[in-house]
Amino acid sequence: MASTEDRRRIDGRLTILRWGVALTFGALAVGFWFLQIVQHAQFREMAENNHQRTLALRAPRGVLFDRNGKVLVENRGSLTVSIVREHTKDLDRTINLVSEVAGLDVEDVRQIVERHKGEPAYRPIVVLEDASLAQVAALSARRLDFELPDVVVEEVPMRRYPTEALAAHLFGYVGEASDAQIGDGIATGSIVGQSGVERVYNKLLMGEDGARRVVVNSMGREIRTLEEVPPVAGRRVQLTIDYDLQKAAEDGFRHAGFNGSAVILDPRDGEVLSLVSLPAYDPNDFASGIDSATWAALNTDSLRPLQNRAIQGRYSPGSTFKIVVATAALEEGLVTPDFKVNCPGGASFFGRYFMCHLRGGHGLMDMRHALEKSCNVYFYTLGNMLGVDKIHKWAEKLGLAGKTGIDLPNEQESLVPSTAWKLERTGERWYPGETISVSIGQGQVSVTPASLAVMIATVANGGTRVTPHVIRAVDEGAGWKKVVPTAVADRVAFRPETLSALHDGLWMVVNASGTGGRARIAGRDVSGKTGTAQVISNQGRLAARNSGRDLRDHGWFVFFAPRDNPQIAGVIFGEHNEHGFLGAPIAKHVIETYFAKQEGRPLPTLDPVVPPTPVLDQEIDPDTAIVQVLPAARGTASGTH
Amino acid sequence: MFERRLYHHIDFGLLAAILALCAIGLSQIYSATGGWTAIVETQIVGILLGTVALVVCLSIDYRTLADKSHWIYGAVVVLLIYVLLFGAVRGGSRRWIDLGAFNLQPSEFAKATLALVLAKFLGDSRRGVVSNVDLVIAGAVTAIPLFIIAKQPDLGTAATLIPVAFAVAFVAGMPMRLLGILAVVAVLAAPIAWRFALQDYQKERISTFLDPAQDARGAGYQQIQARITVGSGGPWGKGFTEGTQGQLRFLPVAHNDFIFSVLAEEQGFAGVIVALGLYFFIIMRAIQAAQLAKDRLGAYLVLGVLASFTFQVIYNITMSAGLAPVKGLTLPLMSYGGSSMIATLAGFGLILNVRMRRFTN
Repeated sequence: MASTEDRRRIDGRLTILRWGVALTFGALAVGFWFLQIVQHAQFREMAENNHQRTLALRAPRGVLFDRNGKVLVENRGSLTVSIVREHTKDLDRTINLVSEVAGLDVEDVRQIVERHKGEPAYRPIVVLEDASLAQVAALSARRLDFELPDVVVEEVPMRRYPTEALAAHLFGYVGEASDAQIGDGIATGSIVGQSGVERVYNKLLMGEDGARRVVVNSMGREIRTLEEVPPVAGRRVQLTIDYDLQKAAEDGFRHAGFNGSAVILDPRDGEVLSLVSLPAYDPNDFASGIDSATWAALNTDSLRPLQNRAIQGRYSPGSTFKIVVATAALEEGLVTPDFKVNCPGGASFFGRYFMCHLRGGHGLMDMRHALEKSCNVYFYTLGNMLGVDKIHKWAEKLGLAGKTGIDLPNEQESLVPSTAWKLERTGERWYPGETISVSIGQGQVSVTPASLAVMIATVANGGTRVTPHVIRAVDEGAGWKKVVPTAVADRVAFRPETLSALHDGLWMVVNASGTGGRARIAGRDVSGKTGTAQVISNQGRLAARNSGRDLRDHGWFVFFAPRDNPQIAGVIFGEHNEHGFLGAPIAKHVIETYFAKQEGRPLPTLDPVVPPTPVLDQEIDPDTAIVQVLPAARGTASGTH
Repeated sequence: MFERRLYHHIDFGLLAAILALCAIGLSQIYSATGGWTAIVETQIVGILLGTVALVVCLSIDYRTLADKSHWIYGAVVVLLIYVLLFGAVRGGSRRWIDLGAFNLQPSEFAKATLALVLAKFLGDSRRGVVSNVDLVIAGAVTAIPLFIIAKQPDLGTAATLIPVAFAVAFVAGMPMRLLGILAVVAVLAAPIAWRFALQDYQKERISTFLDPAQDARGAGYQQIQARITVGSGGPWGKGFTEGTQGQLRFLPVAHNDFIFSVLAEEQGFAGVIVALGLYFFIIMRAIQAAQLAKDRLGAYLVLGVLASFTFQVIYNITMSAGLAPVKGLTLPLMSYGGSSMIATLAGFGLILNVRMRRFTN
């Protein structure tokens, strides 16, 4: 029925349609060829990024043990809350909602997110460490409602520090790696040691984070694990610290009612048995990501709890320095222990009158009694005979100048002046008159408690300057391996008469009529020396009277026990406690604990009821000496008596 | 009505290609929905019912059907109006009549019906070349169901009616000059339509298509994911049920609008070429059927049915590769959907019908 004309038209138009369809299909095939062949690699990677996640598995840090194998610092499971921006539609809304539900400060959370903005969107940003169960429950409820699909709760290992014997400054604390710390195996967001042992031995303790490659669906839900590299826990590390001695020392301070520092060593090898700095912070606060308020409070506290006084606080050593002067005079061969000086209550040197603390004078003194009584005139005389450079030389040999080399970060150098030092620092020559103050530990002398502990350990062991250290053994995976201690810094064998004179004199301080009687323990032959570190000169004290600063003096007590073949030595520094002898009971408690433990007896306890001992006004502290009054020419009788 | 000798004129090649695509679609639905599910079963039922519809449309002489086309057209329009008033609401639009086990989507049947009624109207025209009056009437016949379907709203399906009208008019001798004018008008009207006719979500889809990254988590998401899905398939694919994009739901409605993306991901470029080849073969075979048709009515009918099919295939595959704006248009023969499957197979029943009866009087 169709006409030929019709047929021709239809055929023509069908041919056009055929070509149209053929070209379109050809174009489609080319399009797919481009996507699937040419750009395949790129799209394959995009697809993998879509459904594969690599999640970091935080490695537990190495457990820290004390010298007896007691666990000091370990790890516990803790819940962290993170935002994974990849699944976030409205980041502001998520931040607000998370903050509201978990009770966090919105600005804090925003800052955390801002700090990690440059990282890949699939990497979780931890906004809350160590979340409480209530917080997790509240967040999970919102998650289930699909209100917070971009929030992830994970369990990670977290540091747990002891609370009773804190040793905070020894352990230090951990925190997220700063930009400067990143690299050398430390990735963004890693938790690294920021201070103390945690920092120095971070490499050992950190372990290696593991990773888990998982398949997730479009909602970010994990479907299955493709591959898992388990984390490698940090090395177990044994410290030289004895938990019981650490606790004894800290208890002692609490009992005595003042802050300060204690460094207790084994004088034979320099192992640190206890290291105290008070006031302290709680490292547990840092482990869970310290909040800005706590951090600000720690930083602005006038008592400076973050400072490790044991190695960073520098104070004048006061009368404890007389041990250095005595050693120098004896070892230089200037005098023998029988050398006698008459103390009339003061003496003039270079036109100035320097006083002894006992107004009536000590009378004729030999070395042993001069140490026992802490006679200033005796040591002025020795100092004057030695000169500052010899004093410096022996201070250095005893470990009082420079750093002790302890394996803790940011140690300060102790300073004992010399002529060269003064010339270099001020361009002025040394005046011999300055030596007189130095010889009783005042003037420019300024030392850390740790260096004073090394000094007394050196005196205790007869001349071997040990390097204090806190690490004892490491478990590299095949059992404990003892860490070879740092080589001894210096070794001088004291003459026998030097040693016996020093040991006798220091024994008499505690066990005869000296100032250290409060450390006396029957049968232990505790030897020691008190000292006072002036916070401000007598003249300055008047001027600064109303400044509000705490101007009370610091007290020192250095000690070792027993006198012969000492096993324990150390220093107690009492901040603003005014009297060195107030530190002696702390030392006594530590020494008693030490021997009780050694002999398997019950550990001593401190009587809890005794309030801080009130110091009677009339009780004269021989260390609190007025060193110098006006120049002799203007009259020796001064109103400051 | 069905003579034995007609059986030998059935285009079994075309039929085989159609059923092959149904099988490929079914297997990809199985993969995309995660195994033997109700969706797979529904699709099988759809294919079986579609085959029945195909046989029915094949058996009755198309000229007899064309004679009744005004009744069929009227019935479909009534159904469409019924849907608009009483249909089941899903996803914000009324498209379905709830039949209990099955949801009937009358708009799917409007395509073949329109082809039938237009073929009858223009094929019966006494003169060889269509007049302008004929074209206006044909336009009106197209506009009625189109308008109703657009009101549901289902712009995608409504749009598939336009190629039907154009294809029939084109082979019926619509002047090329008029086609050109219409094209120019369409281009000029686009900005006006953009301004006044389109809803915000529609504008968003188009602007997102032009720059998917501007809304990577919203409307642009599907498009980006579609490209990733296809591209990551590579030359040989990830393997059956191994596609990550479809399996893990990065690609939405994978068993429906994006079934071809799932195929591309799991079977790779090789699978794409096979499927494209089958579609191309079907279309070419159908065009051949139009050429062989005994009368204008047959030729026009084949072209009308083929037009909406071809339009949908090309658009959906382009969209599956992320190369066209996302629109709810399914891929005939492969996508999940009972009404679409039945209507499509019924349409092919008509095409086979025309070819089979090319020698009868």
